[in-house]
Amino acid sequence: MSAIDISGVTKRYGTELALDGLDLTVESGEIYGFLGPNGAGKSTTINLVLDFIRPTRGDVRVFDLDVRSDSLEIRNRTGILPEGATLYDRLTGRQHVEFAIESKAADDDPDELLERVGIADAAAKKAGGYSKGMAQRLMLATALVGEPDLLILDEPSTGLDPNGAREMREIIREENARGATIFFSSHVLGQVEAVCDRVGILRDGHLIAEDTIDGLRDSMPTQTRLRVTLDRIPDDSASALEAIDSIDGVSSVEPEGRTLVVACEDRAKTTVLRRIEDYGVSVEDFETDESSLEDLFVAYTSDSAGSAGVIQ
Amino acid sequence: MSAITVAKKDFRDAIRSRVLIGLTVLFALFTVGGAALASWVSGLFDDASAQSTIELVLTLQAPAGFLVPIIALIVGYGAIAGERESGSLKFLLGLPHRRRDILLGKVLGRTGVVAVSIFVGFTIGLLGLFAFVGSVSLTDYVAFTAVTILFGLVYVAIGVGFSAMTRSTTRAAVGALSVVILFKVVWGIVGMILLSVIEGMSLVESPPDWYLVYNAVTPDAAYGSAIGAVLNRTGPTVASAYDISTVPLVAEPWFGFVILAIWAAIPIGLGLWRFDRVDL
Repeated sequence: MSAIDISGVTKRYGTELALDGLDLTVESGEIYGFLGPNGAGKSTTINLVLDFIRPTRGDVRVFDLDVRSDSLEIRNRTGILPEGATLYDRLTGRQHVEFAIESKAADDDPDELLERVGIADAAAKKAGGYSKGMAQRLMLATALVGEPDLLILDEPSTGLDPNGAREMREIIREENARGATIFFSSHVLGQVEAVCDRVGILRDGHLIAEDTIDGLRDSMPTQTRLRVTLDRIPDDSASALEAIDSIDGVSSVEPEGRTLVVACEDRAKTTVLRRIEDYGVSVEDFETDESSLEDLFVAYTSDSAGSAGVIQ
Repeated sequence: MSAITVAKKDFRDAIRSRVLIGLTVLFALFTVGGAALASWVSGLFDDASAQSTIELVLTLQAPAGFLVPIIALIVGYGAIAGERESGSLKFLLGLPHRRRDILLGKVLGRTGVVAVSIFVGFTIGLLGLFAFVGSVSLTDYVAFTAVTILFGLVYVAIGVGFSAMTRSTTRAAVGALSVVILFKVVWGIVGMILLSVIEGMSLVESPPDWYLVYNAVTPDAAYGSAIGAVLNRTGPTVASAYDISTVPLVAEPWFGFVILAIWAAIPIGLGLWRFDRVDL
């Protein structure tokens, strides 16, 4: 059985097309990473699953139930961490968790949940005084109430330091081990690669790729990261960057002082170096790194993705 | 059940608002002022029953009639639109609550908050009555409190209704403010204009029925009627204002309760209809 089944869903806001015929299936028991740059339609998709918004066309089902007519049962069995956690400033952390417990008619111990997300010491403090990371942890605690069958986490690492993000991943793994399906969105691949069974990449309202991390890597042309140190910054640096970015096979260019970091396919390397020298500067030094998954993700979602030939 | 859970949470949240505390203090000042005024004014009447009525009206009804709508609308207008703006509505609706439970829970929770404000204001008014007037009927006081809470519920419903129909608190606030202006200013002026146009006179001995009805259908007038009904004596009702024996059904004191119920139902109904369909 699939936990989430989205078929042929289009969502239009006025003239703006947020989702364009999206098909997506999350299998029961898996950890699904939902990736895409900001504005790709990730939150729109999650809002549809939760019946916060209604599709213009298409069908959304959760636990094989209709999201519209059976929304209450779906939300009873689902834990949600909405994007950009917003809390009730005048209520304490414990009151938030108690409210979630009462709403779900669950029998969890609020203090245990707060302990689990690492904010037990702030349980009696008003949420208005919480840092972003603490607010995010509190939202996670409320999402865990009632041992949900499905956890939907929208950008869960927002506001968390690396340690907090690691603890978040640990909890995700524990919940998955208990049997919960996890669906979580992020615009940073690094956060999903460590935990996800499968990843879907959304861009401009389409799912442009869906596979395991290894599968995605295999489907990509070999990516290289070039670090090129120049003797000086070229006079016309903006147009130089643009010229390099437009080379076939280059997915991103980042200047770091006199050093350029270029993510590209192997075959484009020489072209990049030649193009740099066209701008009257000489290359003092250059090194190549193995491609990171981040480059892979950028390659999928940047404008040159089409020329990289990765669209499914 | 779900609405009660939402109401309890909402009450806990909203009762801590500083604006509410400020408004309640203002309300208490009005009731104490009213009590002081009452001790002076009621001396002008010989009839004990008229005295006691005028004391209660000046101490409780006049301040409540003026301030309860304002407190209730301020407490109500942000109830849903505010959570939509901040994003906490996604937390609320992420939990298994129907949208109608949210709206009804908000109306109940915020009415509770307004009730506390009324209770504080009236208790201080009561102390004022004891201090300045010396005696007061506790039965009347309790009846006054109950009807005033109902009156508060009507305006909370109007505020929350606006809040459910728009995604911006600014628009909800404009809606709430328009309601205050409509019932406190425009309604009376329009009535006078209609009266002089239709009947060709502005000062009347015995006003026509339609005018009595027109003046009885606002929530504020209905509050006065309902108070008159529970006190079971000549309060500031339409009948007593014009010294006539028969009034249309709508202007009967007990009908005030019906009018209050309608004024609560309309915004709740419209709010439910809109909020249930809209994208968050």
